[in-house]
Amino acid sequence: MSRKVLTVYCLLVYAFLLAPILVVVGASFNAGSFLTFPPQGLSLRWYVTFFNNEVFMRAIRTSLWVAAVSTVISTLIGTAAALYYVQHAGRGKEAIRIAMLSPLLLPEVLTAISLLFFVYSVGIGTQTMFAMIVGHVLITLPFVFINVSASLETFDPAWDMAARSLGAGRFTRFRRIMLPLIKPGVIGGALFAFIISFDIFTISFMLKGIGTSTLPIQLFDYLRTNFTPEAAAVSTVSIVLTLVVVIVSEKVLGLRIHRF
Amino acid sequence: MTEVSIEKLTKTFGSARAVDGISVRIANGEFISLLGPSGCGKTTTLKMIAGFEDVSGGAIRFDGQDVVNVPAEKRDIGMVFQNYALFPHMTVEQNLAFGLEMRKVAKPEMRSRISRVLEMVQLTGYAERYPRQLSGGQQQRVALGRALVIEPKILLLDEPLANLDAKLREEMRVFIRDLQRRVGITTVYVTHDQAEAMTMSDRVVVMFGGRIAQIGVPADIYERPENLDVAQFVGQVNLVKGTVREGGSDGRCAVETTFGVIEVHSARMHAPGTAVTLTLRPEAIELGAPGKGAKGTVLSSYYSGSLIDYRIELEGGDIIHTQAFPHNRFADKERVGVYAPADRFWLLGAAA
Amino acid sequence: MTPGRTKGMGPYLLILPAVLLLGIFLVLPYLNIVLMSFRVPGQGTPYGVGFTAGNYVKFFTDSFYILQVVNTLWIGLLTTAICLVVGFPVAWQLARADMKFRGLAYGLVLSPLLVGIVIRSYGWTILLGNNGLINRTLLNIGLIERPLPLMYNALGIVIALVHVFLPFMILPIMAAIQGVDPSLHAAARSLGASKTTAFRRIILPLSLPGIQAGCILVFVLSLSAYVTPSLIGGLRVKTMAVTVVDALIDTFQWPFGSALALCLSVTGAIAVVIFARLTRMKWKAS
Repeated sequence: MSRKVLTVYCLLVYAFLLAPILVVVGASFNAGSFLTFPPQGLSLRWYVTFFNNEVFMRAIRTSLWVAAVSTVISTLIGTAAALYYVQHAGRGKEAIRIAMLSPLLLPEVLTAISLLFFVYSVGIGTQTMFAMIVGHVLITLPFVFINVSASLETFDPAWDMAARSLGAGRFTRFRRIMLPLIKPGVIGGALFAFIISFDIFTISFMLKGIGTSTLPIQLFDYLRTNFTPEAAAVSTVSIVLTLVVVIVSEKVLGLRIHRF
Repeated sequence: MTEVSIEKLTKTFGSARAVDGISVRIANGEFISLLGPSGCGKTTTLKMIAGFEDVSGGAIRFDGQDVVNVPAEKRDIGMVFQNYALFPHMTVEQNLAFGLEMRKVAKPEMRSRISRVLEMVQLTGYAERYPRQLSGGQQQRVALGRALVIEPKILLLDEPLANLDAKLREEMRVFIRDLQRRVGITTVYVTHDQAEAMTMSDRVVVMFGGRIAQIGVPADIYERPENLDVAQFVGQVNLVKGTVREGGSDGRCAVETTFGVIEVHSARMHAPGTAVTLTLRPEAIELGAPGKGAKGTVLSSYYSGSLIDYRIELEGGDIIHTQAFPHNRFADKERVGVYAPADRFWLLGAAA
Repeated sequence: MTPGRTKGMGPYLLILPAVLLLGIFLVLPYLNIVLMSFRVPGQGTPYGVGFTAGNYVKFFTDSFYILQVVNTLWIGLLTTAICLVVGFPVAWQLARADMKFRGLAYGLVLSPLLVGIVIRSYGWTILLGNNGLINRTLLNIGLIERPLPLMYNALGIVIALVHVFLPFMILPIMAAIQGVDPSLHAAARSLGASKTTAFRRIILPLSLPGIQAGCILVFVLSLSAYVTPSLIGGLRVKTMAVTVVDALIDTFQWPFGSALALCLSVTGAIAVVIFARLTRMKWKAS
């Protein structure tokens, strides 16, 4: 393929990737009652409807709450595991890596179903948000682990030795040397965990209790029966929320997020 | 000001002996180099002195006190790492301040000590820079300053010049040596570069396979090597085979060689007729018109600017290397006289 | 271990929470679901007393389910193949070409990952529906007289799945190509290989691990995808994942649902193993 053909080809692929997202954003400003093209004039009416829709607003709050709690938990567990993996794991290193990534490698549907049966078998059930949060922690854990271990791999053991030779004890070394240097990885992992959690569907769908629908679930339920552009407005707000998180992390904090 | 004494120090990894019972006494203010090929145990020894590596056996004493069970952060050492290990998230000043903060030095004193050290390592004005904004040589000097500002008992350097280019490396040799003399700190320097060890050290410890092959001042190591390994490691060397003609009980020994009968020093008695090996450094050899010394033929020559290296075939088939100033040039296949003063020959194993 | 470094139980405390979490909430549930698939279906309860292989017998003897597995595998394979063909040139360009807007292009590839799967599938319903953007546009220009059947069929599902999982194909391949020393390509050229030959003989084999990873990832993800087939396929085309979830949510057939889910996952795993074998042999042969 010549360079020009390749460029055009890639541009088409990018267009393909962006198309459905742009269409959703465009549809949200439609003044009409149905999803029609071209839009019947521009309007913010569906945003007003959305913001006054208590069901959706509660779903957003639930989503934010679940994402926040599971992010905190998986960041703590994932960071500790990454510390062990990079600095202490001996022969079992590869096994630990695979185990930590397993929630990503196993089919989400199967994990969701297994977890559903399990919480009922042991009497926890889905009346509380416990089961859903456990599911979110499982799915987001690999992302924290990948990001933190990536930043730990670039941590030069000589830094730690230098600090020791200068008289720093274990706690001081962790606080003054290691933590500041792996901070980008930890924050990056946490942000990614938050974004992923915010979008998790199957786990939430199987493990949600009554009245604890997250935004994706509420949107899915809505879309099965309704075709008004309100769903587009909801989606657009959700996209913007995510974008803000990403832009803040990349531009303001200067972080690079490791996806693989 | 500290005297370091290492006694029968041993380090085993599984069944392998990385360091095998070495003993050295390092005098107060002395600059000692641990020299050897990679895997000879020199870095492991340094890490044991620093406290980064457990000791399997033996003792390390600072001024008579065994420090084997003292953790690294309590040993009061200054260490310079091969890749400098400057904290990338701290400025030069913060790097220098770190060790002082650990020692709870008061702010005003900290400032004056840092600025004094910055001056010492010629980095005044660089206090606010981050490590990545500095050249390799500058980073090296920050690392040196960071190790010295805490006024440690001893200074340890682990191949600190290995990452610098050749010219800078030579400048830094002189710089570090002068600084060490001025401060007067006991220093252990690990290197695999014999020239570095020679130019900088008061004494050199040559190590092979976890053991000490020879300890001595640089001239001893170079001119009076204990064995073949040492002779070959610290520079080019010609091996001259000979037969003992007279063993001598007066510490002298007459050896018959292609260069004639050479009288060399020997602490040991040799029976007449014993086959022995003498070492002869290339630059000790003088080339001239045929007649003086052994007879030889020039095989090839290599011009390197300040010197010319010749490869010469001696009568009898032995091939030797010589090094000479280029004022007297010889052509290939030219017949030459090969001469070396008797005191430049050295009998291997003479001290044993 | 060096002195002063964490000794004794210290380091294990770091990994302990992760071990507990994965052990209790991943390993035990998976063991439990295997057990569940052998339970007797219940009357009014999720499952009855005793064990049976009947759930599996029901699965293997009912052509409806077999057909659905074949259908699901076919959709997965198609999605994977299209993702590879569509994604490879993009991965190549991202990895190698010195582009002005490389950062932007990378962001574009990542962007679908940052937008929820429900929203993306929803976007496709807007595009592919009978009254959707594509059909409307084509009708308006007069290219077609009746709306094309783009939704509620396998075609629509595959289009949307390719979109949803394309980044998972591009990113590993890009990483693999970046890992190949560019001088190898130059070396091959210097030895007289044409651009195409250098690519085929050097770059392609060396980036094969990335291709393999991408293919496995996309295949597994599309087998267990629920949202996209459910929204795009509607009630007419169902994949295994949709059937399984619906069977559990609507009818509470826990033992049979477990058997279905396990059969689907095991089928996927077997396909992955076969694929890995095939590509590895190819790798050795080349």
